[in-house]
Amino acid sequence: MSTPEVSELPPPFPAVQRDRATEAFFDAASRGELLVQQCAGCDTVLPPEAKTCFSCGSDNLGPTVVSGRGRLITWVVVTHAPVPVLAGAVPYVSAVVELDEGPWLMVRLVDADPTALAAGDAVQVDFVRSGAGENTGEMLPVFRPVGSEENATEEKA
Amino acid sequence: MSSAAIAGLGITELGKVYGRSSSSLAAEAVRLAAADAGIPLSAVDGLLISSGQKQDVGITLANALSTGPLGLCMTMNSFGATAGIMVATAAKAIAEGTATTVACVFADTPLKPKQSTGAAWGSPRASTREIAGLGGWSLAGGAINPNILYAMCARRHMERYGTTSEQLGQIAVAQRAWAQHNPLAAMREPMTLEDHQNSRWIADPLHLLDCCLVSNGAVAVIVTAADRAKDLAKPPVHVWGWGQAHEVRRMHRGSDWGLVTPAARSGAAAMRMAGIGVDDVDVAELYDCYTYTVLVTLEDYGFCEKGEGGAFVSDGRLAPGGKLAVNTGGGQLSGYYMWGMTPLSEAIIQARGEGGARQAPRNDVVLVSGNGGILEHHSTLVLSPHARKLPAEVTA
Repeated sequence: MSTPEVSELPPPFPAVQRDRATEAFFDAASRGELLVQQCAGCDTVLPPEAKTCFSCGSDNLGPTVVSGRGRLITWVVVTHAPVPVLAGAVPYVSAVVELDEGPWLMVRLVDADPTALAAGDAVQVDFVRSGAGENTGEMLPVFRPVGSEENATEEKA
Repeated sequence: MSSAAIAGLGITELGKVYGRSSSSLAAEAVRLAAADAGIPLSAVDGLLISSGQKQDVGITLANALSTGPLGLCMTMNSFGATAGIMVATAAKAIAEGTATTVACVFADTPLKPKQSTGAAWGSPRASTREIAGLGGWSLAGGAINPNILYAMCARRHMERYGTTSEQLGQIAVAQRAWAQHNPLAAMREPMTLEDHQNSRWIADPLHLLDCCLVSNGAVAVIVTAADRAKDLAKPPVHVWGWGQAHEVRRMHRGSDWGLVTPAARSGAAAMRMAGIGVDDVDVAELYDCYTYTVLVTLEDYGFCEKGEGGAFVSDGRLAPGGKLAVNTGGGQLSGYYMWGMTPLSEAIIQARGEGGARQAPRNDVVLVSGNGGILEHHSTLVLSPHARKLPAEVTA
């Protein structure tokens, strides 16, 4: 059994394409903004995929840009790709993060040392190009521990 | 007040059963259950049908069975909670006169020859290189199968309460010890905690031995009125109580997703109806798609305080000879994977006293759980070999 060359593997983030319902979401991501939803009735901030407001039940939702800051609720280290398009991603960390504004997102956690994570850790959104190295996809929101973000900022300063 | 009883149990060949359709296995399970009860198929006038991953058994099953005229016939699906809900639905139909004798059947054939167990859970998105919209973002996030999502729930419990992988391993080890005495169980080799810890990661914090099997096969039960059941071939298993509860995954601040499950409401409802508390339970057959499901169900049912499940399952408490007989056939971790029919079938065997070398020392009250989705759907049954005394008889 031969080890596949790196180039034979799919990229760590499969090439995600926009559809009509997500043009605004991916346009925002390309600007470095995380677009979620907000209830027009009670102002509750909701995840991008929400269909109705968790708080009041209204389906009158509109887009809003959030801070991208949050904290870690839970995470998993995935060592075995659940589908072939993620074969180039393993091992990776999937996480639930809670945005400061309230909604939870299921996202990829990048630049994280799994042995050093703890629930409640501060995290910050970042954006990666999906499908890098082959047919290029949309920019995707991912999250990273704030510690590594701060280090990166210090290095730049 | 329920006066229904389970009168028949039918189990087909299980596991790597190839070349047969789910419907064929379902029909065989119903025939076996009717024969077990000692009734002709023409006596069956209710049919409740559940299929699993493949969702490929429909109400046309009735045609294949040549039952009597049916007063009740439908497919049902609350994922792994379905079996318990089917028995409760049958009991209610019997009480209201819709039917007198209801066959409840589960069948599934997700396993294919020369394919891994994991392939049975494969996503149709697997071969797509370009993925559209928020679904693509979610796929890229990588949390896309039950292994990963249950691992997130287990991790949350570990972070909140200090639960450890070794404590989850105690559940797997105890169930394997029970499975060694179950001729129907697929996995009967001895297992140690070290084996559990050394098994490969499926999704850290879940090891391979934290995860259930996948099986092909079918299981059916016959539910009828308790008065009628006592004249049939097998000792009746009385249905004392039932409950079901469902929670949507509310991904927002304040969510207790993964920490508290609808087992809490479902279990409380069933035990209230049965007039029992957890201290009365002799045998608990708990849905175990993962070791963590058992731990959180024990907490939510009230066998221990929230957060103390890890300590509770340690020191061999759930193993043969322990203080609480749990998953006495090996469950879905070591026995066979028939969704909620796994715990229900073993509960019937235990209530009848047919457990052989694995028979629990006491079986007056047997608790059965079903769980589906990502800890989102739950059913509970309270079963007993004894007809339940009505409150009036108790006080008289």
